[in-house]
Amino acid sequence: MNQALILFALRLVSGLLLFSILVGLFIIVWKEYRSTAGQSEVHRRVYGTLKVLRELDGMYRVTGETYPLLPLTSLGRSPTNSIPIPDTFASSEHALVTLRDGQWWLEDRQSRNGTTLNDLPVTQPVVITQGDVIGIGTVRFHVELES
Amino acid sequence: MTVIPPPPSLVYRYRNAGASYILLGLGGVFLAVNFLALNMQRGAEGLANWEHFTIWVVCAVVSAIILRYRLPKHDTLLFALTMFLSGWGILAIDRLSPLFADRQTAWLSLATAAMVAVGIFPHTLRWLRTYRYLLLVGGLALLVSTIVLGRNPSGQIGAPQLWLGIGTIFFQPSEALKIILVAFLASYLAEQYPAMRAEGLNTGHHRLQLSPRIAGPILLMWGLSVVILVWQRDLGTAMLFFFVFLALLYVASGNWRILLSGLLLIIFAGVIAYYQFDVVRLRVDIWLNPWPEADGRAYQVVQSLMAFAAGGIGGQGIDQGYPTYIPVVHSDFVFAAAAEEWGLVGVLVVTACLVTLFVRGMRAAMNQQGRPFRVLLATGLSLLIAAQSLLIMAGGLKLIPLTGVTLPFMSYGGSSLLTSFVIAGLLLRLSAVDD
Repeated sequence: MNQALILFALRLVSGLLLFSILVGLFIIVWKEYRSTAGQSEVHRRVYGTLKVLRELDGMYRVTGETYPLLPLTSLGRSPTNSIPIPDTFASSEHALVTLRDGQWWLEDRQSRNGTTLNDLPVTQPVVITQGDVIGIGTVRFHVELES
Repeated sequence: MTVIPPPPSLVYRYRNAGASYILLGLGGVFLAVNFLALNMQRGAEGLANWEHFTIWVVCAVVSAIILRYRLPKHDTLLFALTMFLSGWGILAIDRLSPLFADRQTAWLSLATAAMVAVGIFPHTLRWLRTYRYLLLVGGLALLVSTIVLGRNPSGQIGAPQLWLGIGTIFFQPSEALKIILVAFLASYLAEQYPAMRAEGLNTGHHRLQLSPRIAGPILLMWGLSVVILVWQRDLGTAMLFFFVFLALLYVASGNWRILLSGLLLIIFAGVIAYYQFDVVRLRVDIWLNPWPEADGRAYQVVQSLMAFAAGGIGGQGIDQGYPTYIPVVHSDFVFAAAAEEWGLVGVLVVTACLVTLFVRGMRAAMNQQGRPFRVLLATGLSLLIAAQSLLIMAGGLKLIPLTGVTLPFMSYGGSSLLTSFVIAGLLLRLSAVDD
């Protein structure tokens, strides 16, 4: 057979192989992405949620933003917090909500403008419960615990 | 420091090992087809280079089996991509400069052995941490010794003398220093982790944004990069060190001001370098407009652009294009050669492989949550691979000024290959969580 023809065939095969490698890589990455997403959805235990409230016309209203309550939830302006708060009155590491011995505790992390619980300043760690409102800067969080 | 392992649900278990091996198998078939075509192009006498392919297959199979038994939880995709890219590298070097292929294949077997050794040796990570000062001083001493004893394998007068040579074997200390430096920074920053988190941020009375604790190492590192740049005119390595360092510092502190100040510093250094060093000015001028000197000093970059254009979508086919018009195509411009002979598809595959390598390295970092040293080490090593690839790939495409670094796993260069494989070995080790 003609050498040029064989070379052309080899070129074609090599191009197809490259393409299949690309597709294969995509499939592997996609599959593992899906299974990871599924994994973390299934295993996440729901403890409760924090619903964001904002002031509008003199009343605090639900904005639709909710965050899951984790056994160690940090709140603050820094994006490294589990709940980042883009508010100029919030400190980078503002407050901490923790689960200790079956009770939820709220703790202020020496923030500049302080943390409030039901509009009273938090000076030391306090137990919080269903329906409490945590205030950081201009933002309020409504605590909703899963029973 | 207490180790808080991440909750089991957040640790990713690598499954589908079979799929990775199938991918590697496809890569092997691709290499075989291309070696066949290369031999046909060269005529009957060229059957000799099958030994390069055979050695690659042996390396891949043996290391896969050893890793499977001795490091069963490692990320097989990371391994498969490493071997595939290095095999492609051997193929490209065999095609571009056959004289160097034997030497590169020898380095490949050594590098694979090093990767497996680093991967299965139980104390690797601990020793990297314990002997960090020893390693750093050793690495720096080697680097400084190149100022006095440095040579260039090509023997040209005026070429950067970055190598140490014994007989005909050359080694580039700045390559080894990459790993040492990342390991050193990872362990240093892991120790400073609580301090950095507390100080850099806006907690109560501590509003020191750039305390000596954070500014000290950044300035030291900047100084070191500048020294490398000034004495050795190794622009690429200096940039690489500084970028990776900045990124690590950002990951450790979560403070974007560090990124900003670091970028300002590098721009400042760049402007000074532009006016002080001819080599820097040359690179920048060529980047801005290579065409007036297309036959002269910008010849390399222009030829690289031509190679990309000539490749088209499907490429010219192996040994059927003319990438050898690019000077030193086998080391700095392997990517351009791949573009000419394997086209857009080839470029996409190389890029996708490198990106996936980076992503899997970052995944290893995420799986090590709660162990700052390991997180930072995995992040730093992945970033090293990614930044180096990006510098040379974008440099060859004239997207950024050209810096003479190698394309990891693919370029010609023994010390570069060895370093890349040791990094791969460390990432494999880090990807296997429970140890």
